[in-house]
Amino acid sequence: MTRIRWGTVAPVAAVTVVGLALLGRRLAPHDPEQPLAVPWSAPSGRLPLGADALGRDVLSRVVAGGANLLGVALAAAAAALMIGVALGLLAGWWPTRAGRVVHWLGDLLLAVPALILALVLAVALPGAAAVVVASVLSGAPLTARVVAAQCGTVRDSGYLHAAVERGEGGPAVVVRELLPALSGLVAADAGLRLITALQLATMLAVLGFGPQPPDADWALMLSENLPGAALNPAALLAPAVLLALCALLFAAAARAAGRRLEGVA
Amino acid sequence: MSRELLVVTGLTVRRAAHGEVVLPATDLRLGSGEVVAVTGASGSGKSSLLHALLDTLPTGLYRAAGTVRWRGQPVLQGRSARRWRRARCGYVGQDPALALNPLWSVERLVGEQFTGSRMDRGRQVREVLDLLGLPDELARRRGSDLSGGQAQRVALARALATQPDVLLLDEPTSALDESTRRRVVEAVRARRDGCTLLVTHDPYLVSALADRVVDLTSPLAGTTPGVRRPVAPTSTTGGFVATGRTSAAVRPADPGPADQPPDAGAGSGDRTLRLAVRGLRVTRPDGAPLVENVHLDLTSGSWIAVIGPSGSGKTSLLHAIVGRRPAGHGQLLLGGRPLPADVRQRDRDQRRAVQLVGQHPAGELNPAHRVGNAVARPLAVLHGLGRRDRTGAALRLLDAVGLAAELARRRPRALSGGQRQRVALARALAAQPDVLLLDEPTSALDPASAGTVLDLLERLRADGLAILSVTHDPAVAARADQVLHLRDHQLVAADANGSPTDTDNRMEESGAR
Repeated sequence: MTRIRWGTVAPVAAVTVVGLALLGRRLAPHDPEQPLAVPWSAPSGRLPLGADALGRDVLSRVVAGGANLLGVALAAAAAALMIGVALGLLAGWWPTRAGRVVHWLGDLLLAVPALILALVLAVALPGAAAVVVASVLSGAPLTARVVAAQCGTVRDSGYLHAAVERGEGGPAVVVRELLPALSGLVAADAGLRLITALQLATMLAVLGFGPQPPDADWALMLSENLPGAALNPAALLAPAVLLALCALLFAAAARAAGRRLEGVA
Repeated sequence: MSRELLVVTGLTVRRAAHGEVVLPATDLRLGSGEVVAVTGASGSGKSSLLHALLDTLPTGLYRAAGTVRWRGQPVLQGRSARRWRRARCGYVGQDPALALNPLWSVERLVGEQFTGSRMDRGRQVREVLDLLGLPDELARRRGSDLSGGQAQRVALARALATQPDVLLLDEPTSALDESTRRRVVEAVRARRDGCTLLVTHDPYLVSALADRVVDLTSPLAGTTPGVRRPVAPTSTTGGFVATGRTSAAVRPADPGPADQPPDAGAGSGDRTLRLAVRGLRVTRPDGAPLVENVHLDLTSGSWIAVIGPSGSGKTSLLHAIVGRRPAGHGQLLLGGRPLPADVRQRDRDQRRAVQLVGQHPAGELNPAHRVGNAVARPLAVLHGLGRRDRTGAALRLLDAVGLAAELARRRPRALSGGQRQRVALARALAAQPDVLLLDEPTSALDPASAGTVLDLLERLRADGLAILSVTHDPAVAARADQVLHLRDHQLVAADANGSPTDTDNRMEESGAR
């Protein structure tokens, strides 16, 4: 029987989309910053997705506009995940001392609303840096908490005891036994961190804290092309659909990677 | 002839990844009041048969063909199978300790399906517990606070409590001693109608309960044939790690025949004291005493078996010796020198010297590690072997416990319970311990695989390994040169066939040894 293997399709699709987006500008058929047609032209043979407010090619701008956004989101998610996992393992393996400090710090950070944190940071820092820092401050405590909780159940398993009893040192137990046993959870959480980082980066860019016109950027296109939605809906829909598609693919890919790492698939 | 209730035709299970057959086409017919036993070598697909029947196959396996009919009506996969198993089936899995919610009390676990008042529920729960020989006070304990045998019976009580039409039992007595097993048999016999499908390696259970036996022994990829196969002498003991290292840890290979009487090999040679246990006191986490005043002398080549009722503290004793849960009182001496009670205070060689193979095959192996790497790891940590050497040694160890080389690339999830149990043993042997602690080493094994494992242990013992095993299996106790019975918080000597019933009153005063 021929079943579609989403476990393979999703990660491949996610990597392809990210790869194409990062190549971006070089694949664009026209110069994304050059007016080529009447503003808000409907899709035609020459401009398959029509033109935007200044008559620039929407297709070229969509192709070129993902690199910055996805790059920032990836960096922010990676930072949040790594810091969160490290703190979570620390808290899970030494629950009394390190655990107390990590949980206390996490509570403190989680008490501040993430959006307000991001806005304050965006005023003080460049847009990309604000996304990374806000994503770490709001995401890492969540990751740490989930990882630490799961450590609690794995701690008492036979294989962890066996590792200690054959003379593995603390770091070796944590890195070689604990982390692989939690890899599925970490992969799933990576998807979550990536999606929230993407949303954060989009939000700040829409509010004007990210790339500035005339740069091509999906988030910027959302705000630029909103007024002309009735004249050329494609100009608004294209970046929106791509943002949603990326979020979906990241979630599916993370899930698939988690299952692969846990040895289910 | 009884009415046919459940008819299974051509049920086939395959692995999703490579399409490999896990369970070849199998037919079953269960009539009203019938008990059918399913036997077969470890890894022959017994558990998968139950899962396929219930439509609860784990991810990675799927039902490739076959139909299940209940009273003539097909039970389709998906929603109708779910409704059917909820309404009709009681199931006890292989690792009940993992299936019970650790936070629920036993009363809630067993009585979940009872309707009616709280008082009624309590009474009914106590009736079922009593039927299986579990004390009333157990009803208040949590699922996490049970011994292996208690958890197994609570899981059975939970299944019996609903009076299901179909009872499916996967190794329901692997952690139980003789007298408790009899109670299980009686409880299953007492079922008035409905049918029972029983997966077991236990010949006693088969003979006592089964109306018919279905044998799944067909040699499959990754399984040793169900024939008792002596392991070639070259692949044992020192041969595992004999890769140019001349460490004292590498023992010379012993070409001695495997079919020697148990005591002959052990009696010869030096009998140096490997591990001495002096006045050990083992308590439950809440401080209640489990075992008092344990004295044990594990000399090289000796094999001591500890038997005793479920929940008496056998596993806790092993955990205390290995340092997992340090004992409050008493002393351990390793080769004459004091051994710290807590494993974290032992040095690397002390840790190597004492190795434990745990009770629950599912929890003993890291789900993320491939089997070959898991077995090779102690060789790297403790013996500093290079990658190629330890891979080869791991394959020899797996072969010695009766597992094919292609299993080395699998993860534990793709192994059967019996295969996991043997991987855990191979991993412990890779450390080359002086003292091996075994907790129910054959609970998930068919007689043939158990024979392979016991023969291997016999040969290792001839080379000086000291073994302390906790067991309910008479075949294991028969290999030991001393059988101790744990009862009333004391270790007392039992007679040769492991039954303390006549002698223990007399022996109680003297303590063990």
